[in-house]
Parts: sequence; C-alpha cells; structure tokens
Amino acid sequence: MDSGVVCDGTLLHWGNLLKELKDEIAEVSNEMETIEVSDESKNNPKNKQMSIGKKKFNMDPKKGIEYLIDHQLLVNDQEEVAKFLYQGEGLNKTAIGDYLGERNDFNIAVLKSFVNLHEFSDMILVQALRQFLWSFRLPGEAQKIDRMMECFAERYCELNPGVFTSTDTCYVLSFAIIMLNTSLHNPSVKDKPTVERFISMNRGINDGGDLPPELLTSLYDSIKKEPFKIPEDDGNDLMHTFFNPDKEGWLCKQGGRIKNWKRRWFILNDNCLYYFQFTTDKEPKGIIPLENISIREVPVDKSNKPFSFELFATGQDIIKACKVDKEGKVVEGKHNVYRMSASTAEEKEEWIRCIKQSISENPFYDMLAARRKKAAHVK
Amino acid sequence: MGLLLSRLYSVFESFSSETPARILMLGLDAAGKTSILYKVKLNENVHTIPTIGFNVETVEPVKGVSFTVWDVGGQDKIRPLWRFYYQNTEGLIYVVDSSDRERIAESREELFGILDSDEMREVPVVVIANKQDLPNALKPSEVADLMTLRKLTSRKWFIQAACATTGEGIFEAMSEMANMVKEYQAKSH
Repeated sequence: MDSGVVCDGTLLHWGNLLKELKDEIAEVSNEMETIEVSDESKNNPKNKQMSIGKKKFNMDPKKGIEYLIDHQLLVNDQEEVAKFLYQGEGLNKTAIGDYLGERNDFNIAVLKSFVNLHEFSDMILVQALRQFLWSFRLPGEAQKIDRMMECFAERYCELNPGVFTSTDTCYVLSFAIIMLNTSLHNPSVKDKPTVERFISMNRGINDGGDLPPELLTSLYDSIKKEPFKIPEDDGNDLMHTFFNPDKEGWLCKQGGRIKNWKRRWFILNDNCLYYFQFTTDKEPKGIIPLENISIREVPVDKSNKPFSFELFATGQDIIKACKVDKEGKVVEGKHNVYRMSASTAEEKEEWIRCIKQSISENPFYDMLAARRKKAAHVK
Repeated sequence: MGLLLSRLYSVFESFSSETPARILMLGLDAAGKTSILYKVKLNENVHTIPTIGFNVETVEPVKGVSFTVWDVGGQDKIRPLWRFYYQNTEGLIYVVDSSDRERIAESREELFGILDSDEMREVPVVVIANKQDLPNALKPSEVADLMTLRKLTSRKWFIQAACATTGEGIFEAMSEMANMVKEYQAKSH
C-alpha cells in the first residue's frame, strides 16, 4: 500500500487505487487461507501475475494481453483470448471494447470468437443487442461499430434462422439501431428523429424491400423508452464501494495547511474514509486509508469547533492519504492529523465508535505489518 | 490564441447575420476533428454525457451557427443510413490526416460517398489538410491530388493546410466556409 496511495493524474486513479487496495486485500486473504491449510506462506506467483496482467489490460489492453501470454497465463489463440474477455473478471469494459475494436487480423478474429460465445437463441433483436452491448463498452468510432454490428448480425442470424431474409438486413438494421440510440439519447444531437423518420431511414434495407413498419416502430419505442445501458465494470466500480457503507454523514473537516473548516460528506467503508463535496458526487474529494491510524477526541479547549475528534498516524508524522486538488489532480494529503467536527455529541461518539471498529476489525493490517517486518528482515 | 478567438468570433458573427447555418465536420477517425472542434468552440463547453453509440459532438460558437462532428466510415451497405443525418446541411468541413498516407484513399472514398448523396448536392466543402506539423505530412496540393478534389465540379470547394493543435489554418478554413455558406444560402433561398 505504500505505493498505492499516492498517485497523480485523473480520477481514473481513484478506481486504480481502490482496485489496488482491494487486490492487496484479496492477496492477503488468499495468503491467510493458505496459512490455514499448510505452512506454505508464499503467495501464488501465478495469481499475482494474473492480477498484474489484468491491471495492465485495463490501462493498455494490448500490453495486458501480451503480458498474460508471455507469462503463460493465456494461450496465444483467438478463442482463448475471447474467452478471457468474455468472462471479463476484473476487466474494465471500456478496455475490452477498445481491444475488440482494433483493426488488425488477430483482434478481428478475437472479436468474431467473442461474439460467438454469446447465446442469442429465441431472443428478439433488441434484446440480443442489449445483452451484447452489456458485455463490453461499444467504442464510438463508426468503423469499429460497423465491424462489431456485422459480427453480431452473423451470430444472431445463425442462431435465429428465418428472422431476417439475409444477414446484411440484420447488420444494417443493427447499425441503424445504434444510430437511433445515439440520436435519441446523445445530448449533442439536437435534431431528434421521429418514428416516421426512423422508418424512412430504413427503407430498402431488406434486400431492396422494406421491413414491416410494426417491427421498426417497436424497435423505435424500445430504444426511446430505454437507452442502451453503459456497461458496469466487474467489481471495479466505485459505486460498489459507496453502496451500503459502514457509516455516512456530514462532518466539518479542517484543512491540512490552511486551518479553515469545510463541510464534507463522509463515507466509511472498506477500512477507508472517503469524503465528498456533495452527497451526489460520484467521485470522492479525498480518501484516507485507515492504515496505521488512530483516533482520539479533541478537548473543547483545543479546538475552535465543538464535538471534534481527529485521526493521527501511529509510527509516522504525515497521514498517508490523497485528495483531488483544484485542478482535478490527485495529490498526496498534507495532514499530520485529520480533524473533524460533528454536529452533536452523539454523532461524534458514533463516528469514533465506527472508525475504531473499522480500525480494529482489521486483521489484514496486522498481517501486512507482519509481512513487512519479515521482508525487512530478509533484506 | 486570444487573437484567433476574436478573429473566429467575427467570422461566426458574419455567418449568422441572415439565416442559421448547419455545418457538418466529418472525416475518418483520428483525423483531428475533435481538436478542431475545441478550437472553434469559443467559450462553450463541449458536452460529453456518455451515451452508447457514435461519437457525436455539437457546438454553437455563436447563435445560429452549429457545428456537428462525427466519424464517418464503414461499409457501403450502411451508407444510405447516413444520408438522414445530412439533411439541412449547408456546409461540410472534411478533415484529413495529411500524415496518414496509407489511409488517404480510404478518406477519399468516404468523402465521395458522402457527397454522392442527394442531401449533399451542391453543398460547399472545405477540406482541412490537418497535421501539417508532422514531418511526413503531405502538402495541401498533394492531398488535393490524391483526393481527386478537382473532380468536384458541381460545388465550391477549398483546401486549407492546418495544424489543429496550434490552431494554425483554422481561422482561414472557417472564414472560407463562411463565405461559401453565405453564397450557398443566397443561391438556394
């Protein structure tokens, strides 16, 4: 965690940071399990490499796949790569979409195999499309969408013979549905098409003939009512973290260098304290991992705000934490202590109790500390 | 940059004196359309609310002038669908990556495919030969030759060398577009 907390760059890093934290937790849990089974306390290097490979993939899909192949964790074969992406565990769906959209022979072959892993039998077209577009994030480039819809249509028609007179009809219609979703739901498109326009747009796409207007109307209604969902990432989503927290609420927080007070929405979860400017914010302004942290009350005469308490670092001066600065960059926190103030005495007691519990409930940190000690001895 | 903005502003003002202008900016992916859009957007924010589908962006630098941008491409079979997006277009800005010699033919195919549709008949075109800062960039005259722009006889066209990252050539392209759109509007109204 030493390296994980401090990083620069965009908000993406929050996700990476959290993922790193979670990966480390998973790693240590694995380790604990193996201790119970045997004395073998070394963690599995394959698992670790797999986790590194997935992280690499999420940052740069091509490099991630190369890494996994080089480390014999993935067979250099279109079917195998497709299966890996289809299972998608721990993979970012935008990264999957980027990989599948690349225009070279191998990636196109993987795209075909990937589409063939989908099961669309007895599904109406729009249902099948919804399912397909949930498995990766569709890229926005026309050529990529073109290739993806062509592969999709081939698979759909193979599993549902007789629905369309030709695969091309299905392909052009699928492409038209993506256009429709864009024009109905992308705020940049000012000119929203009517159902009549959608019908006339699709004139002649059925081998020169027209598709039944009822079919086109029902497609139009479906897309209008329910846009294609942006696929969520597997386990890598901040929303999972902030959903169902240990405790949440408003607190005033004192600045690190400038000692003014700001009202922030705090969420305690995953042994981390997150704070937000607004309750509706998707990304936190700051993250304080509760590692090597203790909590104490601040006596009334020591603070200019009532009901104060503070977090302080045990073992070092500065608390390891990060926050988003004015320019939106993620920077290291500058706090020796984090001082907070609740609105009532009860609230204060409750926060202290919950944070203490979160700190003490953490065999994981003891484990980490032990590991570090051991590593230090070896060196 | 301050100078570019104020010059652009006066061009856009002159656009909208009479009738609103709808301008499309098209080109292959990675030609530099979004960079150009950012240069012409003046103070407006480019909205990026995520939506599943095509990359589409619209800015309205001054009232009555709108620029809509998207990637073109794909096979001939889907080309008829696009024509619905061409309706009421009064000017086309077509962006070419001058350094991508391999895809220049593909870019030409796309351009001629677009111009072939009825909705685009007589609509004037400004071709932006972008990325002139790159060492292996084709000169604008070479781009014009390779794209066979001289075959465009039923409409006004113009080619402008540019570098979207510095803003060089953008004012000139927009200014030419404004003149051609005004002429087009005068003829068709």
